[in-house]
Amino acid sequence: MVKLTMIARVTDGLLLVEGLDDGRDLKDAEFYKQQAKALFKNLSRGLNEPSRMSIETGPYIFHYIIEGRVCYLTMCDRAYPKKLAFQYLEDLKNEFERVNGAQIETAARPYAFIKFDTFIQKTKKLYQDTHTQRNIAKLNDELYEVHQIMTRNVQEVLGVGEKLDQVSEMSSRLTSESRIYADKARDLNRQALIRKWAPVAIVFGVVFLLFWVKTKIW
Amino acid sequence: MGTENPGRQQFPPARPVATPFSVAPPQNMMPFSSSGPVVGSEASGFRPIPPGAPQPMVPSSTHVVGSQASGFRPSPITRFSDPSVPSPPTANVPPIAGQFQRFPAPHFPSTVQAPLSHAPPIGQPLAQPPAPPVSFRPRPQIPPVPMGSPPQTVNPAVPSLSAPYSSSDSMYQAPRPNFQSSFPGYVRMQSNADSQAPPIPPPFPTHQGGYASSAPPPSSYPYLAQPGGYVPHPPVAAPLGMQSRDQMQHFGSGPPSGSIQGLMEDFSSLSIASVPGSIDPGIDSKSLPRPLEGDVEPKLLAEMYPMNCDPRYLRLTTSAIPSSQSLSSRWHLPLGAIICPLAEAPDGEEVPVVNFTSTGIIRCRRCRTYVNPFVTFTDSGRKWRCNICSLLNDVPGEYFAHLDASGIRIDLDQRPELTKGSVEFVAPTEYMMRPPMPPVYFFLIDVSISAVRSGMIEIVAQTIRSCLDELPGFPRTQIGFATFDSAIHFYNMKSSLTQPQMMVVSDLDDIFVPLPDDLLVNLSESRSVVEAFLDSLPSMFNDNANVESAFGPALKAAFMVMNQLGGKLLIFQNTLPSLGVGRLKLRGDDLRVYGTDKENMLRLPEDPFYKQMAAELTKYQISVNVYALSDKYTDIASLGTLAKYTGGQVYYYPSFQSAIHGEKLRNELTRDLTRETAWEAVMRIRCGKGVRFSSYHGNFMLRSTDLMALPAVDCDKAYAAQLSLEDTLLTTPTVYFQVALLYTASCGERRIRVHTAAAPVVADLGEMYRQADCGAIVSLFSRLAIEKTLSHKLEDARNSLQLRIVKALKEYRNLYAVQHRLGGRMIYPESLKFLPLYGLALCRSKPLRGGYADASLDERCSAGYTMVALPVKKLLKLLYPSFIRLDEYLLKASAQVDDLKRLPLAAENLDARGLYLYDDGFRFVIWFGRALSPDIAMNLLGADFAAELLKVNLKERDKEMSRKLMSTLEKFRESDRSYYQQCHLVRQGEQPIEGFLLLSNLVEDQMGGSNGYVDWLLQIHRQVQQNA
Repeated sequence: MVKLTMIARVTDGLLLVEGLDDGRDLKDAEFYKQQAKALFKNLSRGLNEPSRMSIETGPYIFHYIIEGRVCYLTMCDRAYPKKLAFQYLEDLKNEFERVNGAQIETAARPYAFIKFDTFIQKTKKLYQDTHTQRNIAKLNDELYEVHQIMTRNVQEVLGVGEKLDQVSEMSSRLTSESRIYADKARDLNRQALIRKWAPVAIVFGVVFLLFWVKTKIW
Repeated sequence: MGTENPGRQQFPPARPVATPFSVAPPQNMMPFSSSGPVVGSEASGFRPIPPGAPQPMVPSSTHVVGSQASGFRPSPITRFSDPSVPSPPTANVPPIAGQFQRFPAPHFPSTVQAPLSHAPPIGQPLAQPPAPPVSFRPRPQIPPVPMGSPPQTVNPAVPSLSAPYSSSDSMYQAPRPNFQSSFPGYVRMQSNADSQAPPIPPPFPTHQGGYASSAPPPSSYPYLAQPGGYVPHPPVAAPLGMQSRDQMQHFGSGPPSGSIQGLMEDFSSLSIASVPGSIDPGIDSKSLPRPLEGDVEPKLLAEMYPMNCDPRYLRLTTSAIPSSQSLSSRWHLPLGAIICPLAEAPDGEEVPVVNFTSTGIIRCRRCRTYVNPFVTFTDSGRKWRCNICSLLNDVPGEYFAHLDASGIRIDLDQRPELTKGSVEFVAPTEYMMRPPMPPVYFFLIDVSISAVRSGMIEIVAQTIRSCLDELPGFPRTQIGFATFDSAIHFYNMKSSLTQPQMMVVSDLDDIFVPLPDDLLVNLSESRSVVEAFLDSLPSMFNDNANVESAFGPALKAAFMVMNQLGGKLLIFQNTLPSLGVGRLKLRGDDLRVYGTDKENMLRLPEDPFYKQMAAELTKYQISVNVYALSDKYTDIASLGTLAKYTGGQVYYYPSFQSAIHGEKLRNELTRDLTRETAWEAVMRIRCGKGVRFSSYHGNFMLRSTDLMALPAVDCDKAYAAQLSLEDTLLTTPTVYFQVALLYTASCGERRIRVHTAAAPVVADLGEMYRQADCGAIVSLFSRLAIEKTLSHKLEDARNSLQLRIVKALKEYRNLYAVQHRLGGRMIYPESLKFLPLYGLALCRSKPLRGGYADASLDERCSAGYTMVALPVKKLLKLLYPSFIRLDEYLLKASAQVDDLKRLPLAAENLDARGLYLYDDGFRFVIWFGRALSPDIAMNLLGADFAAELLKVNLKERDKEMSRKLMSTLEKFRESDRSYYQQCHLVRQGEQPIEGFLLLSNLVEDQMGGSNGYVDWLLQIHRQVQQNA
């Protein structure tokens, strides 16, 4: 079962299309969408990723193909045949390149090709049921070899980027913390000063006051 | 403008004129510049004006004359008129001479001043002659006016400096032209023209002499002040169109917001004069101000801040923001704004679209204001200062541009967001919770027996079918249908089917959706199925005898189908909901409830189900439009809640019959389906430090304190917001407002539409009045009053409205009356001269009028729901509809539509020989006089002429006249398409239809318990004067 479908530009991670009513029966659709977006961001950093890959996440699995600097990604149940998933992505790719191929580089806003989602809906329905004649035929078709496609875990993939992020985050936190520390230290200093001299000042004050009162009264 | 000159003169005495003026606050620039260089430039500066003014004046003057005669006031006017008036009252003669001297004197100063230092007075006059051409124009008008006026009893008291306000203003205005032009050269001309004026020439010379010698400021001073005062009047008196124009000018002339302390006094007196109008009790009603020109958008602010967004998007109730809380508490009118974020722009003025993808949208770090024309760039272009919170922000690298010598970015001309008050930004991903939704239309149609009988189903099906091609958002548009009576019917429209499949759910307690998909389908794919469905729908239920309506459960079911995507839910409802949740019962029939404390409960939803449902719907981006077509009570109060909180709209067609109302439904449904709509929108209004929007009014749901959730918005919806001051004192000279609407366009783009406007802060109440925008005030008032009817009695709502008007006028009176000894006259600011009339119209409008018998509860509620969403122009038209006499126009082949003149809305204007058109923007009423030539009637109605007109449909016949009428009506309809004006015909004396259709809507007449216009004014006036 196809759960999510997204198409993004690899060069900058800009989302071009997203299947519309995706994730309606998914509890944490938002979480997985975020993960998918993180994947795109990762890809756009130019890490040398293979053009076809499967990534496991929880009970689901992401499949993506990169072609013509566009990444086609879908998320399915783990039980869903890999072969069908990639076939589905191929279908999307062919149609997308046919319809929007020329404008992919110039797209300037997110979801610029949202109109393509009608095609996604249609295609998705064809792949929904693995037992239809059509899909069984495809499964048996040996033309398309998917065995060598690497499977990794999402934590590994995202981890690389995440670690970098963490380091920079930590360092920035360090600077801000140290600044706070400096401020606090200065503050403490001042308080110590006050604590030290305040009694003396008060005593002097009282004395002067007494003097003054005295002079006034006499 | 010319009028101002006299005022100017005051200055010289006080101090060198030139400086104050030129220095004067920029706001007044326009007026001043024209008048500023008083003498010298007049020739040039004046010209433009007179042409404008004169035309309108002519008609006005004629009226005036008549009216004055009746309601006359003693007034110094005489002097003015003297020149032209042949037979001044006996008493006048002596005074005249004296006056004349004075008269000229003022001019002189004026002339003198500009040149002040350099020009000898005498020389001036000479110089002026060139001006005569200008002055000529006014003259023509003059004769009629003064002539009429003779009846005046001259005010013995020459001192009546201030006195002159009165109906006689008209007089003033007429004279005004003289005044302006009455420079030496001019006078002579005048005398020639009007043979009567012999005395004039002599006086003139004397002035000069007098002037030269007696130039002493003191003497001229008092005098001058008066002239200033006079000037303004003209507008008031001028009954018709004039006013608007003049008004603008006057505005301009208004005192420069008291920037110079020393001059304050003079200014205010001047301004008074320029602003107030006055009315004498017992005055002739013809001279009362009437908005026959329709709505006039305030132009002054736009001139002051040319980069402001257009007033069609944002209108402030006053363009001058009070500087302190105490000042704002003295401004008894509402302080706020009317916002119509998607108003239709004329061709060529579309809002420019800006794409910031590379840099991200530039916004203030702290207050999140969008970059706009009022931000300033500093630090050689590396920083920008937010105009709203004045925080210094960094300019992102890609957005950087150098500044030129004057601190302006060199790329300014390529940056619409820095030059235009209205722009649209393309929203990046951060502004999306999900991918942009497609336009979704779901129709929920009542198919119970009354719906079938009325023919509603057929019209709806036909209309939807004809609109399929024009639904916005092709090819993504989604569409779905459900029908209901005592059960709910769903339709499977899967694209692979040839015929839709109907599924009936009759378990109303536990609603479920029979299919997960295919109830809401892509229109372009399932087009043939949808068409097949719409073709068969009318016949499907032909013999349905079901009288029940499971409205609540059907609504829930529709919600379940739509909640994945959101969109627009159109409900066609014909029977009072009687089954399942949300069942309603008959109410509102009880006469006794009116006038008690429980009265307002009738106007509130009876069942909390509706409000809860509305909240749910909004959350899922569903907007509900309710089409109620029942011939019986359907509890619009409850159903309308759905529309109110989801940004929708209520359409009400009482006792719908397809033969009669079909056209209206067809047109309005078409408009609803095809107009450009913004989806899943939110709107927020930001404003500068110290002010805050405290309440919002209109059809929407507030998501947080200031975020309006609007599942769907379109160009026909306006929202109101009230402003309050947070700080006791505003320190900034300008307050900025920014409206930001984040929405998804039908094409699937996510956009942010931003309107920015600036308004000056003033410390002077008079200035606030001067800058008031009557249209916006009335709009806000109507929203407040309608909301008040939900928690109070109608009576209370009307009274509080009246009270606020009275308070406002009283405050204004306190401001000016004392120093000008206005005595018993009513004064009001020029800008608000229509306020009392609109106030009256509002009290007479459907949601507020009368009591039980005056409007059915459903009509009241639906009108209320409609009015809170109307844009200013439309609302004003509804309150004071246009009323036009057609017969002469139809008979004259050469007459043009533009020649049609609007008449005051009073029965006295109905002539039994005439044919009249009443147009309130929602319907036409054509009134056939009893003595109308049968020729016209035959031409227009053909054989139906003798029939009962209520049942006759006006259609085009093969007659020249009929074609002309229809094309005229079509033209009126074209001017505003948001509602379709259905044509009702009524014959004079045909009761009760005549009363119900037309007579009760003649706002200026006395009706039942309510006042006519004159009485209403008198009543307000009396209240203003009480303990004034």
